[in-house]
Amino acid sequence: MNNPTIRNWLGFSTLALMLASLFMVFDYVPPDAEMGIAQLIFYYHVPLAWVAFASFGLVAIAGIFYLWLGDQLWDDLGYAAAETGMVFCTLMIIAGSIWAKPIWGTWWTWDSRLTMTFILWLMYGGYLMLRASADDTPQVARFGAVIGIVAAMDVPIVIVSVRLWRTIHPAVLVTKQGTHGLEDPRMVWTLLVSLTAFTLLWAWFLMLRFTQLRTRSRMSKLAGRIALATVAASDPK
Amino acid sequence: MPAPVVETRSLAKTYGPAVVLREVQLRLLAGAGAFIIGGNGAGKSTLLRILAGLEAPSDGQALVFGQDTRRLAARYRRRIGLMAHQSFLYPNLTARENLEFYAELYSLADPRACAHQWLGRVGLAEVADTRVRAFSRGMEQRLSVARAMLAEPALLLLDEPFASLDHDGAEIVAALIRGAVERGACVLATTHGIPEIDGVELAVFEISRGRLMQHAHKEEVRRGGRIRSLLGR
Amino acid sequence: MRKDLRLELRSGESTLALLALSMLVLVVLVFALGAARVRSVDAAAGALWVAMVFAGMLGANRALLAERDNGAIRGLLLSPLDPSTLYAAKLCAALIFMAVAEVGAVILMVLFFNLDFDASMARLAPILVLGAIGFSALATLLSAITGRTRGGDMLLPILAVPIFVPALIAGVKASAAALAGAPFESMGDWLKIMIAFDVLFVTAGYLLFEHVVGGE
Repeated sequence: MNNPTIRNWLGFSTLALMLASLFMVFDYVPPDAEMGIAQLIFYYHVPLAWVAFASFGLVAIAGIFYLWLGDQLWDDLGYAAAETGMVFCTLMIIAGSIWAKPIWGTWWTWDSRLTMTFILWLMYGGYLMLRASADDTPQVARFGAVIGIVAAMDVPIVIVSVRLWRTIHPAVLVTKQGTHGLEDPRMVWTLLVSLTAFTLLWAWFLMLRFTQLRTRSRMSKLAGRIALATVAASDPK
Repeated sequence: MPAPVVETRSLAKTYGPAVVLREVQLRLLAGAGAFIIGGNGAGKSTLLRILAGLEAPSDGQALVFGQDTRRLAARYRRRIGLMAHQSFLYPNLTARENLEFYAELYSLADPRACAHQWLGRVGLAEVADTRVRAFSRGMEQRLSVARAMLAEPALLLLDEPFASLDHDGAEIVAALIRGAVERGACVLATTHGIPEIDGVELAVFEISRGRLMQHAHKEEVRRGGRIRSLLGR
Repeated sequence: MRKDLRLELRSGESTLALLALSMLVLVVLVFALGAARVRSVDAAAGALWVAMVFAGMLGANRALLAERDNGAIRGLLLSPLDPSTLYAAKLCAALIFMAVAEVGAVILMVLFFNLDFDASMARLAPILVLGAIGFSALATLLSAITGRTRGGDMLLPILAVPIFVPALIAGVKASAAALAGAPFESMGDWLKIMIAFDVLFVTAGYLLFEHVVGGE
């Protein structure tokens, strides 16, 4: 996983697919009949949402494995996923907001999905604040793992409760009548390319950050060993 | 040969680049009394905390009753008494309530009688119903010793048991340590000066530059043979 | 747990502080909402829950402070006591503590928001108890985390409030319905959400507590 070759390939294919998706969004796909050009942001919004949720899922999974196995690797993965997820989640909210202004006439509304995303954003913001306010000890790693697990557990209840609360979000891809569905096959293709592009971008970011954190963990471990060796070398015989 | 109460195998503890303990090889049998001396920050308290299972070693192993201290089951934890720098006492409870609470935690048969008895032993019977908040450092120290010894632990770890004690207090604590050793407990304590407790053979170790060494004290050399047998070497 | 209660009773200060805080929150909300809205049960229910969240937070911080003072939490960890049992005890203490604060807050709410002490109070009680269980379960787990990090007192609300949102939404809605005189059946969904939240977080706290209080 830490192979630089894979990382470079990931970077290049991300670039290629991103360019392809840009082209498809602006030149290939027909804009939505009702919403017009604003609908195009959908091709970025949905992939961003997917990777954001995937990262938060990964935080929880890494947390479980960390508590179970105690290997620093899982904590590094969870931390990297939380950070990347936060970036994509923020972008997703911004993209959604830009879309909502012309379509709903407002930047923000307390719709169920928006609320849920915002709560998620707050939770992982809290996670990152906790990590930022403390040193990287195994104890803090366990704290992070516990919060990651608890937050993920909370998600289903959040979804149910905010849905009961109110909703006006368009139900793309889940509707049966196809009123807001993707009628044109070109739309489906564009979405798929965008999804792949963003997934690769996410994987690339995650890998970079993960590698960095791995290196840091190894270095602090080595620093301890070097210190031990230094003290031992200066022992009076 | 009986199994050692305390055994460490090339134990090391580092905090980042700071080396606190290294290559610590310690073996103590039941009925052994040992003191560790060393300057401030030498790692004495860290060693006790590791043995009590409150901290994990960075390298090597610490065994207590043959169990790894990182995962001590409840029945082994209850046989360890730790008196640390912090007293573990609740300032808003009285001396008696503190001891009764800990006696209940250790599910002793009669918490009230036990608390009463220990208050008498450490000379705090008169202030039993005063809140710990109002205690002087020395009084808190006495109570803290009583708290650690309440459940008659088989391994007693005392961090600076004589600190801030007056002459009487020091006598009392010394007598308690002697009593514990005599009933077959293993006592490991830290201190600044070289301690003397009448009637107890004490092994003295020194932590210097992170390493634990047998202290070359005149008396120790003289009593060496007996100590060695107690330490299981 | 008995010790926690005794500690609270002994110091007394935090219980008083809690009641004072609940009162202040309610007063601030009365002013913030203006006289017209103070008549509505929605506002009353909302204010009650705001007061409750604040009180719960303060209570959780307080409970942990007692353990931190002389490192007493280490004494507990060292004892044969199981971390899960410790969690259960802490949870019970927090719960009783919060229940007292709630009773105070409800009385104040009735006075400030011109409500009546009638049958709606009986319907409100189980909702508040469910809310208190959920919040205590969460706050007890999280305060064990925030109590051992720098700036922890600030971190507790930052971590706890977003996670508590579903129970908060359900609680406010159900309380407003109860105050408006609606029967229990009409708020079934909200109650189910609260019960699910409680079950989930009590279980999570019970299972995960050992990981947050373990050695450093």
